[in-house]
Amino acid sequence: MESPLHHFEVHTLIPIHIGGLDLSINNAVVAMWVGLAIIVGAFMLVVSRGISPIPGKLQSILEIALEFIRNLVFEFIGKEEGKKYVPFIASLFLFILACNLIGLVPGSYTITSQVVVTGTFACGIFIMTLVIGFSKHGMGFFGILVPPGVPKIMIPLMIPIEIVSMLARPISLAVRLFANMTAGHTILAVLFGLAMTSPLWVSWMPFGFTIIINGLEIAIAFIQAYIFTTLTCVYIGDVVKLH
Amino acid sequence: MPQFEQVSVFGSLIFWSLISFGLLFFILKKFAFPPILEALEEREKKIRSDIENSEKLKEEAQEIKKELEETLKAAHGKAETILQLAHDEGKKLQEKSLQETEAKVRQIQKDAEQEIQSSRNKLLQEIRSYTAALTIASTEKFLKKVLDDADKKRLVEESIEQVIEELEKRQNN
Repeated sequence: MESPLHHFEVHTLIPIHIGGLDLSINNAVVAMWVGLAIIVGAFMLVVSRGISPIPGKLQSILEIALEFIRNLVFEFIGKEEGKKYVPFIASLFLFILACNLIGLVPGSYTITSQVVVTGTFACGIFIMTLVIGFSKHGMGFFGILVPPGVPKIMIPLMIPIEIVSMLARPISLAVRLFANMTAGHTILAVLFGLAMTSPLWVSWMPFGFTIIINGLEIAIAFIQAYIFTTLTCVYIGDVVKLH
Repeated sequence: MPQFEQVSVFGSLIFWSLISFGLLFFILKKFAFPPILEALEEREKKIRSDIENSEKLKEEAQEIKKELEETLKAAHGKAETILQLAHDEGKKLQEKSLQETEAKVRQIQKDAEQEIQSSRNKLLQEIRSYTAALTIASTEKFLKKVLDDADKKRLVEESIEQVIEELEKRQNN
């Protein structure tokens, strides 16, 4: 029986080396592209057909998704301030959702189960929040390290705690997504491995569980994309409003 | 775990995921989101304005209904007054015509009584004058001669005839 972590291995398909960098196209990247192509294709199909005041099925789905994300952004960042973040947050949500879901197709790859990818996005978002904070409040942005209503004597203690909590944000964001995806796929691999290796009179049980867990994984794909984008909104909202 | 061990692919994963996300963001922001978000906002606006309009219309309808009810009430009141007036007028007219008829009947009665009275008087007057004439004629005859019974009878008959003649003459006149 092969290792349940075996399918997390990345295989290079088209080797590309620029300078000292390995930018080869691998199965993870291809799977991601397929997922993104579906998203872009769906949107382009709806837009090219023309947006109808009475939406069809596909337009309804996309509208519901966009409206949902827009309301999320408005809730955490504010209606006026949040408008300009809607495209970014929506793209982020759709990107993660597409990567999560495409990974559930057997033989595919979940790029969000790569901690470097989730880490890159989490760090990118963290840096983005810092840039937004400083550009909006200047040096006053350091006020985010002092929660309102803290007695002055506590400030020296609070600042390090707040710094740690700020730094923990990208880590938790990255690890949450990566760990969830990895765990789900590992469980699926273990169960499927059991189903494949055990005799038929036993194998129906782990196989049945595979199906159930697969359904659960679809839900988790949505939930994790939702959590990632919600927390991004919360972080942006924090630096925009400064508490 | 391969995610921590395959260090060589990290570069390509980071590079391609960022590029892909950037591309996705660019395409969606440039081509897909604006028309859909616009449509959403327009629909929201339309729904809001439709709801507001319908509420306004509802209020207007309510007001119109109220006004109509008031008008109807007023009209009912007016109609009742008119009906009452007509009833009163009718009653008055009826009473008046009754009184007039009664007066007329009384007048006719009175006239008839007067007529009867005058006719009676006239008749009595006539009778009186005939009686006088008869008496004068009879007396004249008695005075002229003593008459036998046959003569008496003839004389009386003559007198009567004379009276009748006189009467007829008068009647013809």
